[in-house]
Parts: sequence; structure tokens; C-alpha cells
Amino acid sequence: MALVQFTITKVQPLFTRMTMRHFSTPTKTKAANTNNIRKSVFISQSNDVFTNLALEDWLYRNYDFTNHHIMMLWRNDPCVVIGRHQNPWVEANVADLNHITEKGVQLARRNSGGGTVYHDQGNLNVTFFTARDQYNRKHNLELIARAIFREYGIKIDIAPREDLVVRNAKVSGTAAKLGQPNAYHHCTLLVEVDKVDLNQALHKHEDGIKTNATKSVKSKVLNLCEANPKITVDGLLSAIGWEYMRTPANSFKDGGKLLASQQNGFQMINPTEQWFPGIADIRDTLQDWEWCYGKTPKFSVTKSFAVPTRFLNSFDSITENLKVTMNVEQGRISDVTLYVPPGLSSTGFSGEAKVITSLKGHKFTEDAINSLEWSLSGSEYGLVDDRDKFVTECVRQVMTSV
Amino acid sequence: MAMNAKQCACRWVLQHQHKLKQAARSCHLKVKEVLGIDEYRNYEYDNEYTFKYSELTTTLAEPKQLRAKPDVSELKFGQIFTDHMFKVFYHKALGGWQKPEIIPFENISLHPAAKVLHYAVELFEGLKAYRGVDGKIRMFRPDLNMQRMNLSAIGSGLPTFDGSELIKCMNRLIQIDQEWVPHSEASSLYIRPTLIGVDGTLGVAQSESALLFTILCPVGAYFDDKNDSVALFADPSYTRAWPGGCGDRKMGSNYGPTIRVQRKALRKGCQQVLWLYGEDHQVTEVGTMNIFIFYVNERGERILATPPLNGLILPGVVRQSILQMAHEWGEFQIQQRTITMNEVIRLQEENRLLEMFGSGTACVVSPISSIEYLGRILPIPTMEHSKPLYNRIREQLYAIQYGHFEHPWAVPIDSVY
Repeated sequence: MALVQFTITKVQPLFTRMTMRHFSTPTKTKAANTNNIRKSVFISQSNDVFTNLALEDWLYRNYDFTNHHIMMLWRNDPCVVIGRHQNPWVEANVADLNHITEKGVQLARRNSGGGTVYHDQGNLNVTFFTARDQYNRKHNLELIARAIFREYGIKIDIAPREDLVVRNAKVSGTAAKLGQPNAYHHCTLLVEVDKVDLNQALHKHEDGIKTNATKSVKSKVLNLCEANPKITVDGLLSAIGWEYMRTPANSFKDGGKLLASQQNGFQMINPTEQWFPGIADIRDTLQDWEWCYGKTPKFSVTKSFAVPTRFLNSFDSITENLKVTMNVEQGRISDVTLYVPPGLSSTGFSGEAKVITSLKGHKFTEDAINSLEWSLSGSEYGLVDDRDKFVTECVRQVMTSV
Repeated sequence: MAMNAKQCACRWVLQHQHKLKQAARSCHLKVKEVLGIDEYRNYEYDNEYTFKYSELTTTLAEPKQLRAKPDVSELKFGQIFTDHMFKVFYHKALGGWQKPEIIPFENISLHPAAKVLHYAVELFEGLKAYRGVDGKIRMFRPDLNMQRMNLSAIGSGLPTFDGSELIKCMNRLIQIDQEWVPHSEASSLYIRPTLIGVDGTLGVAQSESALLFTILCPVGAYFDDKNDSVALFADPSYTRAWPGGCGDRKMGSNYGPTIRVQRKALRKGCQQVLWLYGEDHQVTEVGTMNIFIFYVNERGERILATPPLNGLILPGVVRQSILQMAHEWGEFQIQQRTITMNEVIRLQEENRLLEMFGSGTACVVSPISSIEYLGRILPIPTMEHSKPLYNRIREQLYAIQYGHFEHPWAVPIDSVY
């Protein structure tokens, strides 16, 4: 029944032709209309830090966030997570990690920059995924602060460096990755983390490391449960998810339960290869030694050791120290230099040159030491001179005490 | 209705909206008439004839109500369901259809005398949504399922509704539960809309209350081995459908009685039942699928044949799609006619039978490799060709369903609003 007929003149193409001349590169004409944006809250079923980091990376690389924002909520078994450009030996107590907590503490390097954090089941991680042009860190942190206040009455301050702070102590650490066309901002929330384990894992020795890697700024930390004992990770997860869904993408005009019910809701996510093809490869890369340790910017470690008197040739020599300097590039020993104090005879060290060159190329870990000891106990040297033993012991100490 | 040239069209529309609504309704009723649905009357309120997507309310599940997702290999058909469901009631005493809602998945509570429990006053549909190569989710020809569902409703004395409203509601449901579809290709979401009579009285009469609900099942890759053909068991002593019955409607009462026959087939080492009808042992359906045969006739021409919609056959959506596609290809004749077992045997003995396959939503096409009939096993050469027709059909439909190219049969769910 054609009661009324409309004729629409095509004006649109004229406009686009005109505007195109003003821009040198055509931008994607996707809907920047924030009314179209639907939100989902993904809850990862995995507790493995490498799997979760792989899931984060998979979503960042493969999802279209133009009209769909995602918040990912995840928890990990005990682990230390360092920033993309950090030095694990500087940030964490690498040698002792396996002995902290029952199953040991993993070490992971994430893709985003920033500092080091400790995770365990008392810590909640939140990742906000958006298109690059919708990235808004302040909005996200404000949202979390509101969720916590609404549910638990805890007042959170947002410090100048965009940390979440309660009573002058940090309750959260933040980092971000901005790319094209997607971006994410993630942060941790300390709910009921084991602070003893945290301190043991992150305890830094002042140990003569020179590096250009990003150094963490250590701050005093506080668990949210110290501010309100009723808070739990599950409860917080739910509170943040609902707050996320009831808040519009670009403002704080509370949409209430009505706006929340128009979103896509909570989803459990099983981050395995068949659900997300390609995720297994990402996880393998993240777990690999080459990534966690091999990506460390080059650094040098220097330690000095007092020479025992019995090795000195004359009684009136000034006791100086033996200094061992090790250069490490891409996680592997590239050079070892010794400062030999006068008084410590050089003739006894003909063997050590070989010992030291045999270290080059080895990973800066126990492996190198084992190779050192093995090559020393080999028959080429027969009985090892005590001085050799002293030097190798110093070299060994440089590596194990970092 | 003359229109003053100076009057704005909008104002005119607003002034005459009541008449326009009536016109829309009578159009809808004329469509019903053409479809052969004879009961029609003037409706005073919209909810007498349909529920509306615009009145849909959604209650999203709390995190603790969600189910953990299993591994994709554990996604066997129909065993795992998603986190939400769609529900809308119909009560004659309350004027008709009530407000639709999407809620967390839950059990349904019924009066013990509910008609569905006693007289199988029930109908259902089966269709799928697919995650395409571009990540968008597409439903395959839902309009056909809606038409069929309304026809089944009339056959059961259950209320009809506007199919496009249910499609919009299902779109929203799928949008919410879309992460239940794995991101790998060959994964889909099976959609099960169901309509049951819930009136709590024992009389064998029209149910005055009904419940329409929809549940979703994620389905992993269906065929691991592409050469999975089926062996059929054909026994003329069992009849699935008969003239004057409701074998051409997707009602639960057609399926319950087939279970024991299926078990007999399994015991004989076959996978599906070939349903025969009549003295001449007409081939009607295979399992829960339609059946096709592809053969060479006496003049050397290739023919694709399938039983006609004569009341014994369920009008399958895939069946119709195959017929339309084959018609477009125009490479061989297409016949909708009765096929008897004698003809099948004769074609096979004269080496003119090329392929036989079933068609259905679950696996698109299911090639048949043998039929056990009256004590003998008849081999069917479906799997012996290098470029079989059933495979070409399957590949083409997959390409449409998974969005390899845009096609009106598979519309992305986000674009329906």
C-alpha cells in the first residue's frame, strides 16, 4: 500500500567528496557514536599468569572494539609480573622465587610498560579494552573507585601518577598498551594479598647493577581488606563488573540497572586453543626464557670480594678487593672482567681465562655456574689451585646473590 | 484518501496512524490467509496477536550464576547450554501475549495438569547461528523457521506471533551469550525455540495458556572426519507420519515414538532409521532429516530428487535451500516426487544411483553409504565419487553461513535493529 512516496536526493556523496580533500590519510569511518557501544565483562577461568597474559594479548590483537568494550577480570596463582622493559634480577628475588609459597612463584614479563607487581589469589587484575580513540585511563580508575565506594564504602584517592591510594598507601598498580586500532589499560587491585610473600619475592638487594631498564618505584602497599574486612575478591569482581556496565562509555552519568541490563553481561572465558585459535602460540612465547629473561635490556653487575690474606704474596700489601664485573646482554653473559688487586699473583690464574670465556653466551642463571664448576673439575686442570677456587667462588657469588 | 500537496507527509502519517495500523494488521492477516491459515479476526490490542521486542526486559546473570566453559571437544550436541534464556508467556485470561524477558538460565515450573505433559501440546524449532570469518555472528534463514513455527502453532491450537519480533529477541539473546561460540571456524550456536501449552486443566481442549522459550547450545566442529557417512536401517513396519496427520509439523509428538526404532537401528549396527510409508515403501525421511537422491535416468540425464511436501514430509530449511541453490546452478533436473525402495534398488542395480544423503540443520548434509532393508544390505555409492554433489552443497552452505561472502540467507545479528 504505497500511500506516500518519498524521494530522497542523494546529498551524502557530495559531502564526503568535499571532506576527503581536507584529510591526507583516510580515517576509518567507524561509529564513534558512543550510544552504540555495548559492554561485556570477561572472567577468565584460568589461574595461570601466562595463559591470562596470552588471553589479554589475543583479545588485543583479534577483537574489534569499535562498538564493543570489554573488561577482563583475572586472578593468578602467585607470580611476579615485570614490565616490558624491566630487569627481572633488579625487580625480583629471582634466585629464591621457587622457594616462596608451596608451589613457588612464577616470573612473567608482560607486554605493557611500567613497574613490577606481585600477584596471588588475593589480587584482582582488571583490563579495560577499547579502540585506540576511546582509551581513557582516568575514566577507568574513577570507575573502579566508584565501584569500591558504592559496594564497600572505602574512599579511594587517585594520586597524581594515577595510582589508586588509600591512606597514602597504594592499593593498585597501572599500566597500558596503546596500539592501532586497539588499546588496553590494566591494573591490579590488592584485596587480600599475602604481604609476607610479596616482600620476599620483591626484595631487592642493593647489588651493584647498572642498567637502563625501567626501575620500579617502590611504595608502601595496603590491602583493601585492611580498610574494610568484608571485601573479598569475588565480591569486588562482581561490584566492578556491575559498575562498568551501568556507567556509559564516556561519562559518569549513572545509567543504573537499566543501562546495565542493556549490556552483554558477564561471561566466563576458557582461554584454550580451541576456543581462541592462536592463543597457545602466544602463551608459549610468553612462558619462554627468551621472553622473560632474554628480553632484559643489557646491564652489568659488579661485586667486590675481600681477598683472604693467605693468598697475598707479601705481608705489607694493602688489602684490596677482587672485583668481578659481568656484562649481561639479552639475559646471557657477554663478558666477564676481573680487577685483580696487586699482591694476588697473576701466574696462578692461567686457567681462569678459559673458565671465564666458557661462561660467555651462557644464560645468567644457575646454568652458567654449573658449567663453571664442571669445567673446573675437569681433568685438564688436575688439582685446582686454591686461588682458582677463590676466584670462581666469587664469580659464582655474583650470579647467585643477585 | 487525497493528500493536500501543501501538507507535510509526516503530519499526514501521524493523523492517520490508526488507519495505518489497521492497514498493517490487515496486511498481516491477508498474508495469513494466503498461507492458508483460516482463523483471523480484528485485534483490538497488539498483544493479542504478538509480543514485542520493544517490551523485552533483560536480567543479566550474576558471575556466580554463570557456568564454566568446558573444552570445545566436550561440546556434544545438546548437552551444554548457555547462561541465559528467553521466555514469554501467553495467557488468554490476561489478554494474550505477556511481556517477553531474557533471564539467567533456569528450570521451568509447571502445573501438574499442564497440557504439554499429558497431550504433547508442544512444538519446537531448530536453527543455528554461526560465527563468521569476520567475527560477526549470523543466523541462517530464521524467517523460514518462524513461518514454520507459526504453522505448527496453529496445528497444536497454540497462539501464533509475529516471527520478526521473536527473531529480534533471539538476536539479543545470542548477543548476550555470544562468547559461547568458539572463535574457531566450524563452531555454531544451536537455537531451540519451543512453544508449550501450560494450561493446568486435563480436558483435551485448546490450551489457554502457553509458554514460548528459547535456549541455546554451543556446538563444536561437527564432523571431525569429513568422510563420516551413515548406514541406514529401513523397516516398513514402522511409520513416522501418515496422511491427515501432523508429520509435516515440527512437533515433539512426532519424535518421541521414533526413539525405540532408532535404538533398534543402533543395535543392528546402523546409525539412522530410513522411514518408509505405504504399501510401496516410499522413502520419506532419514532420522530427523530430509532425504535426497542423485541419479542418472534412462536418458543419461542427472536428476536430483526429493520427496514432495505432501503432508508426510517436514519442510526443512536446508531442504529448501538445497532446492533453491540447485535451481540457481541449473546443471541438472530437480524433481519433488515420491521415491520408492524398489526404485532405489533398481537404480542401484543398474549402476545409475550416484548419491543419497540426508539434509538438516545439525550437519547440513549427511551422506548415506548403505541401507539395510528386508534382510539385505544395499550399498549406496555416495562416497565413491571424486567430486560428490553433497560435498559441493555442504561447502556452498558453509561459505554462506560462515560469511565468506555476503548473502541474504545469513544476516549478521547486530544489523537487525
